[in-house]
Amino acid sequence: MGAVLGGLTLAVVALVFFVVPPAEGLGYYVRLAFFHIPVAWAAVIAFLVSAFQGAKYLRSQEMAADAGSAAAARIGFAFVLLATISGAVFSKLTWGAYWNWDPRQTTIFVLLLIYGAYLTLRGAMPAGHRRAKTAAVYAMFSFLTVPFLVFILPRLYFSLHPSPVINGTGLAMDSVMLAVLLTALVDVTGIFYWLYRKQRTRILREEKE
Amino acid sequence: MNSSLWTGIKLVLCKELTMGLRFKAAWASMFMFALTTLACVSLAMQGGQLEPKMAAALLWMIIFFASMVGADRGFADEDAAGTLMVLKLYGSAQPVLFGKMLYSFFLLAMLVLFIAPLFFVLMGAEAVFPGVFVLTLLLGVAGIAAAGTLLAALAVGARVKNGLFAVLMLPVILPVFLPAIFLTAEALGGGSLSLNYLGGMALYDGLLAVGASVLFDYLWYED
Repeated sequence: MGAVLGGLTLAVVALVFFVVPPAEGLGYYVRLAFFHIPVAWAAVIAFLVSAFQGAKYLRSQEMAADAGSAAAARIGFAFVLLATISGAVFSKLTWGAYWNWDPRQTTIFVLLLIYGAYLTLRGAMPAGHRRAKTAAVYAMFSFLTVPFLVFILPRLYFSLHPSPVINGTGLAMDSVMLAVLLTALVDVTGIFYWLYRKQRTRILREEKE
Repeated sequence: MNSSLWTGIKLVLCKELTMGLRFKAAWASMFMFALTTLACVSLAMQGGQLEPKMAAALLWMIIFFASMVGADRGFADEDAAGTLMVLKLYGSAQPVLFGKMLYSFFLLAMLVLFIAPLFFVLMGAEAVFPGVFVLTLLLGVAGIAAAGTLLAALAVGARVKNGLFAVLMLPVILPVFLPAIFLTAEALGGGSLSLNYLGGMALYDGLLAVGASVLFDYLWYED
């Protein structure tokens, strides 16, 4: 699976640098979007997976679900860091400042805080069912912020960020761009899944030792 | 609400109040923390005035961190004193959760009652809409109480406690915290009021309380 993903990643990079035309208003900066959007997407998917696996643990008490929740959070943390940094650079290039608490920036930052808090909590507890239970409860509880982040926050602040991608209302994309973006999304989702499975196996093995 | 649940909640609340009055360190450290922080800023300002937005942010920072000093004790103290097991034997989950939540709300409301007048005196601020100001404070601390009680129960098993509670709390409470700062700034004269934030805060407080109630069962009952 690793080799396929590596090939796909190289293909996406080649497409971004040699095929994608400069976007109106963004020029060649648009290349960064093909990294930023998929990474942010994977960060959100990881959050969902972490909460879902947490809920699964609470129902079934299976350590595999706990390992899944932890693995998703660890990888999600890496992705959310990449999304935050690439977003800040993008923001500097297009809006003139690294950070201005745009609603999307706030959302990604809250996600960063949640991942950080979840991993700190796990780090502060000895391995076992108690930690699994505590971590799962926190993953579920922090999930309560989702309606706020999605529906209310964008109304509190004015946003410069294009609306959620793919439908093309925010960022005007031609069909080539859209195709490359979708390929990049598939690629990064695949990378997430691949890392997630490796990480989950590792955590399970560590806990058994 | 059935009567036995309500009786249980009242019993836990009474127990918390009695213990709280007998052991005053939790109150004292919280109130003194708030006073010290406020005095620091006021001293540095030397009588200068903050604009409403800054003043509101300062007030909420003080309330947030002062509540972190006091509100995380709910379960940790019982764990340290060895009474948590007894409570687990005699009390079922929901009365314990809501009793402690109500006590936490009461404690934080007292904190606000203490710090808000001092804030007006020392910072020279003025409430243009006092009703909204009070309601915002109450809804804000209700959120901190609701989330704080569950998180305090979570943090009991952690080996590193210092700072953990604030780290766990901030992302969860942000949906109450941000509108609270906006509304407080507006109530202090920083622009027109957006009263629908009050509804939003109340709704999220409710969501936190329900979420805590559902999840607390998993923490309370050993398998």
